[in-house]
Amino acid sequence: MKRLTLSLLYCVLMRTFLKVIVGVVYRNREAMKKVPQFVVVANHNSHLDTMALMSACSPGLIANTHPIAAGDYFGQSPMRAFFTRFFVNAILIPRSRPKPGETGPDPIDLMSAQLAKGHSLILFPEGSRGEPEKFQKFKRGIGILLERHSDVHYIPVFMKGLGKSLPKGETLLVPFNSLVLMGDPRKCEAKDVDGIVHEVEAAIRALAAETQ
Amino acid sequence: MNKVFSFFSDNIEKFSANPEVMLVVGLIFGILIFATLLFFIWGKIKPEANLTELKQRTKSWWMMATIFVAATVFNPVISFVAFGLLSFMALRELASISKNVRDEDRRVLIWCYLAIPVQYFFAYKGWHNLFLTFIPIFMFIWIPFMLILQGTTEGISRSMSVLPTQLMFTVFGISHLGFMLTLPPLEGFHAGGRGLLLFIVFITEMNDVFQFTWGKLLGHIKILPKISPNKTWEGFIGGVVTSSIVGYLLHFLTPLTAIEAMIVSGFIACAGFIGDVVVSAIKRDIGKKDTSDIIPGHGGILDRIDSLAITAPVFFHIVFHMYYLHK
Repeated sequence: MKRLTLSLLYCVLMRTFLKVIVGVVYRNREAMKKVPQFVVVANHNSHLDTMALMSACSPGLIANTHPIAAGDYFGQSPMRAFFTRFFVNAILIPRSRPKPGETGPDPIDLMSAQLAKGHSLILFPEGSRGEPEKFQKFKRGIGILLERHSDVHYIPVFMKGLGKSLPKGETLLVPFNSLVLMGDPRKCEAKDVDGIVHEVEAAIRALAAETQ
Repeated sequence: MNKVFSFFSDNIEKFSANPEVMLVVGLIFGILIFATLLFFIWGKIKPEANLTELKQRTKSWWMMATIFVAATVFNPVISFVAFGLLSFMALRELASISKNVRDEDRRVLIWCYLAIPVQYFFAYKGWHNLFLTFIPIFMFIWIPFMLILQGTTEGISRSMSVLPTQLMFTVFGISHLGFMLTLPPLEGFHAGGRGLLLFIVFITEMNDVFQFTWGKLLGHIKILPKISPNKTWEGFIGGVVTSSIVGYLLHFLTPLTAIEAMIVSGFIACAGFIGDVVVSAIKRDIGKKDTSDIIPGHGGILDRIDSLAITAPVFFHIVFHMYYLHK
């Protein structure tokens, strides 16, 4: 049921809407079909980012692909949390790991559990949406996660233009031509957390340089 | 099911009752088949020749010609929706590459997008006066007002001229293609609106191809080296002359006499050149070769319709003044 809803919603409706109305162009969308399990790592400027990446999934994979969303923002009300979980298929996580002595779920464990099930993730290591075409500092979570699951491929993605169509703090969508550029799936070469964070960021920046 | 069938058969019947249009549609696909075969054989005989770009262009022409014919010869509603979509994509592309769009202009751009269905509705209804005044008068008043309401004045005079000009180019200009369909056949002229539409699109696109080809074959003296380094006087003049001859031969698609059609086609060729270099200048301003890469080998939507946006209104108003105004 959920799988059917998501396939219809994203692979048919949202994809058509994004391509025809918003003007999204995908490049190398086949990257997502090359491996059964992946972690999509992308820059983040707009709510449309998640929509664009979910719409890039093929119907067979979509129910097992989870965008990672911040619990404090998307879990504000039970209604909102339900919508995010059901219609976006998201996993809600706290923004930071519990400090020693604190209780509460560890975000890395939550993501790790999905990967252990064989599911895929969509992750924005910048944390929150930034200004269009500017990078923010990458958070370390992606490094910890990929270090723990070194056999999982990651797919770097650079998105351009969506931050102009629907920037942070705006509610009015104004179509602008946008590009979703995907890199080929790969495994991390670096072995330590900081090295992995650096590697992933470099991969996305390399894609950004291609579009110049 | 019967309804759907009769819808198609009715429209195909109307189409086949228009031998002039059928002839030229046949001609278009004839040229495409010829070009495809030519490049195929040329590639076989001279494998070292680099024909990738020409082959890619021809392939894209097949796509565009098929979409154009499918969208125009069968049903007017489909044509208006298709041209509206074309305007929308062109405006979106122009707004996306324009560095003159400020953050405050986002909310005003929505009004520009909303003007498209209104303009095409007037075109569909054949409301001549509203069609002609909606953008140059009403939108030219509305857009500056909406810009003021955003609350900042810095750079506003620039936005006040950029946004309406983009509308004129992508929506007002292109919507003339649809509006042509509302022109009726006249005594001694049977092809009607579809004939006129086919004529202007065929002449404009052939003119682009001719200017390109003559320029490649003979081009030496650059015409506008700072704006469009590939454009030469030889290409331009060759294009104008060839387009005039083609216009002379295809005059039966219009109410014009053969000589008139020849002169008007010369005009169209010049206007097409102007549209082409204007978009080139805009691209040069922002440092891009193509406006986007949606059509393989051709660049973006704008790169293909830049000349049409100028030639369509020029041709329409010449023909309208000469043959429809006092009828």
